[in-house]
Amino acid sequence: MENTDASSPERKLQCSDVGKCFQLLERILDGELVEGGNEMLQEKLDQCQPCFAHFHLEQAIREVLKTKCTKQPLPDKLAESIRQMIQDAR
Amino acid sequence: MSEVQRRKYSQEERSVVFDGEFMPHIDSMYNFAFRLTFDEDDAKDLVQDTYMKAFRFINSFEQGTNAKAWLFRILKNSFINDYRKKSKKPATVDYQEVETFYNSDDVDYQSTSDLRAESVKDMLGDEISNALNGLAVDFRTVIILADLEGFTYEEMAKILDIPIGTVRSRLHRARNLLKDTLKGYAQSMGYGRDEEED
Ligand SMILES: [Zn+2]
Repeated sequence: MENTDASSPERKLQCSDVGKCFQLLERILDGELVEGGNEMLQEKLDQCQPCFAHFHLEQAIREVLKTKCTKQPLPDKLAESIRQMIQDAR
Repeated sequence: MSEVQRRKYSQEERSVVFDGEFMPHIDSMYNFAFRLTFDEDDAKDLVQDTYMKAFRFINSFEQGTNAKAWLFRILKNSFINDYRKKSKKPATVDYQEVETFYNSDDVDYQSTSDLRAESVKDMLGDEISNALNGLAVDFRTVIILADLEGFTYEEMAKILDIPIGTVRSRLHRARNLLKDTLKGYAQSMGYGRDEEED
């Protein structure tokens, strides 16, 4: 199970390679599969505090974007008028 | 891979493809159009134009392939060709300029420890939405495609006609800019501090 504590004494406080690590984390979050990605991810989340924080921040941002920015209400009759236009074009 | 057999759809097949594969994406299409134009009427026109073009060029759509990506590509091209010029908003930074400014090889990954996941989760929809809308159109677009619509880098590369490496770096820039804005909101609203409320 993933350790969900915001901080853990087991994690190191400095990331040895922020560039590589964060890039990897972001690709995993984007669903771009990296070979051995899950194992690497688990290791980083367990052992590295900056990676842990970055992963959860990036994940939270993706979640709020998805849940809060996709609800633009479709204007009434837009679908209907498109169907009508297509009918007329036939 | 076998060669794609282009053939004409019959009248009936066209209806099946249009209703079954194109129309289900209308909500996503409208959301995209609205976030590009910030105007309800422009967004409506843009979606209508896109569907008209989709219908007209339906024979170049191969059934079973990704209809949503195909439609998004048409919408994005229509936006660039027809709407961007007459947009009511003053032109923001163009991606040409932006990408000349940023060298795409040198992507910086910095620790954003002063913005916490909890603060982001506590934000209201308006704040997130405003932060997204405040991004230059090319940065906004990649976030919409990736995070709102769940397209893969490869699909985004096709929709935007740019290499995958550019998708990746543009997306990374866009997220950094978004985080900067969110950080500003978090600070001004007192999120992200550890002290207890009194
Ligand atoms: Zn690390």
